[in-house]
Amino acid sequence: MALATVRQLAFTYPGEHEALRGVSLELEPGEVVALLGPSGGGKSTLLRALAGLVPHFHGGRFSGSVEVAGLDTRRVHPAELAGTVATLFQDPEDQVVFTRVSNEVAFGLENLGTPPPEILPRAARALAAVGADHLAERPVAELSGGELQRVCLASVLALEPRLLLLDEPTSQLDPEGAATAIELARESGAAVVVSEQRPERVLEACDRVLFVADGRIQEGDPPDAWLPREAVLPAAEPSGPAVCRLEDVSFAYHATPVVQRASLRVGRGEIVALVGPNGSGKTTLAKLATGLLEPQSGSVAREGRACYLSQDPGRYLVKERADEEVALAVGGDLVRAGAALAEVGLAGFEDRHPRDLSSGERERLALAAVLVAEPDLLVLDEPTRGVDPPRKDELAALLRDQSPGRATLVVTNDLVFASEVADRVVSTAPERERALA
Amino acid sequence: MSPAPAALLLAALAAAALLADRIVSVAAIALVLLLVCLRAPAGRRRLYLVGALFSGLAVFVLTPFVSSIGWHVIWSGPTVPVLGQLDVTREELRIGLFQGLRLTAVALAFAAYALLLDHDRLVQSVGFARRSVLAMALATRLVPTLERDAAGLVEALRGRGVEVSGARGRARLLAPLLAGSLERALNLAEAMESRGYGRPGATRMPRPGWGLLDRAALVVGAVAVAIGVLWL
Repeated sequence: MALATVRQLAFTYPGEHEALRGVSLELEPGEVVALLGPSGGGKSTLLRALAGLVPHFHGGRFSGSVEVAGLDTRRVHPAELAGTVATLFQDPEDQVVFTRVSNEVAFGLENLGTPPPEILPRAARALAAVGADHLAERPVAELSGGELQRVCLASVLALEPRLLLLDEPTSQLDPEGAATAIELARESGAAVVVSEQRPERVLEACDRVLFVADGRIQEGDPPDAWLPREAVLPAAEPSGPAVCRLEDVSFAYHATPVVQRASLRVGRGEIVALVGPNGSGKTTLAKLATGLLEPQSGSVAREGRACYLSQDPGRYLVKERADEEVALAVGGDLVRAGAALAEVGLAGFEDRHPRDLSSGERERLALAAVLVAEPDLLVLDEPTRGVDPPRKDELAALLRDQSPGRATLVVTNDLVFASEVADRVVSTAPERERALA
Repeated sequence: MSPAPAALLLAALAAAALLADRIVSVAAIALVLLLVCLRAPAGRRRLYLVGALFSGLAVFVLTPFVSSIGWHVIWSGPTVPVLGQLDVTREELRIGLFQGLRLTAVALAFAAYALLLDHDRLVQSVGFARRSVLAMALATRLVPTLERDAAGLVEALRGRGVEVSGARGRARLLAPLLAGSLERALNLAEAMESRGYGRPGATRMPRPGWGLLDRAALVVGAVAVAIGVLWL
């Protein structure tokens, strides 16, 4: 008997277009289903419908039915479904309730009425399973994005649900962490529905694939862009006159050393991918390269203007019109802003409010906001987080087109993207990259 | 010290500052709380200390202009519509200083609560009104979260070569900060509901017991309030 049944589900968010239409599917106990598809195509909404959050939390127009473990989600509230269903959301920073890791993992167990003596041991087991037991007493505010994603995964695994819903669970994890996360979900024994933008991570582990686009489950195999690709890391020699040179730089946050005696050179005309495990100092190195941080020892030499696009840049938009947001970096020049918007596929979005855009559109807006400045050194920190494969191809093509005029440094855990965009790859853990290759 | 007695002690000191009648007593309580706040890391405490001291100073400066008390005039100014004669008396200055110190003491007590207490353990150790205590802990986290978001915004703008400086530049960040925190609050509420928050029959991790120091803090808190009422 199916664990979950979706029949002719259609859903429209308040004031928006139809997010899902005529979706039907069945999930068997223990099976792993990969959800692939373009950003904004309905994957996250389908996951929310399976968790009962659609329509209870979001409102909107709902038709059809969703049953999970015999419970009709229209009649049962999401909090009552918790435990049977557990959801890991896209953005780990927005789902953390407590300030300390062990309390965070215990929160769901407390809500489900777990006997008190069992709460901490179960939380500890879940943390150990995701390789985060050493973080148990750490404040969540001090964790890197990847570490936080592991903690959030532990929080849902601790609930031992029958249906596990994972919305891009590996977007901030390094390749080993991502493989472990998918494997753990599979081994949990729950039926797993995992939405992913890096298909190579899930296709090997899943029993079947559903391609969701335009609010529907599409029949047949996924388009070619979604098929797994091999990461062949380029190994060219440094080239071009150096725009940025870091020599033996070190940096520590409070007393914790993050970068120790690191050196890096990026030349004009080349794209360098900076890869490495979570928490190994990639972002810090990128900020040192751009001048957002000053090294505590060593030296940084830079030529010309440097721009830095942070992780999750869609969160950091300040103006009320898209073109004004982009024009900030060029003294309010709206003509250049319009051209930059067109370059990232946002022509016609000039007068839209940045917060009315979808997450993918916001990321592109933020990219336009740095490209418009035509920097000599462009640093992008995890630019493919939450970006679907065709958009990644477009981003890679755009960066390659513009690369002759500048030095580009891309910080990424996405080795496939690194292999497609970069001229050479620098790792904060070279031994590991050789092993992965 | 456990967070629950520490929170009660801070509340008692704030109450004593509100109950006391003498400037020197309130100043002493504010000084003690300031010393407590200085135990927090310099980077984190700055915003709270500036907020507490600035609000106290604002009350001290504004009180003489919005009240008409006393007859020992130190300075006579023009007559302003609505406010009347702008003069400053010794009595007004005294009241301004007193109320400013009171506000500073209460703000410093909150700063110590926000900066130095482990809010997770506080939620865990309070045996009643868990929802209210959790809401309070989440609200307390709003300040550091906003601080982090503001730092992220400034960094994102600096990453584009746009420097944020001066009060006007920082004020421009308020609207995006507010919009961001509303989005975050919605996402958090959704995540909490999906993890069973609000479901009947919730349990709690075993609570840590109270030690000698915790009991002593409770006694000191009670004594501080009593002294505030009777002698200060």
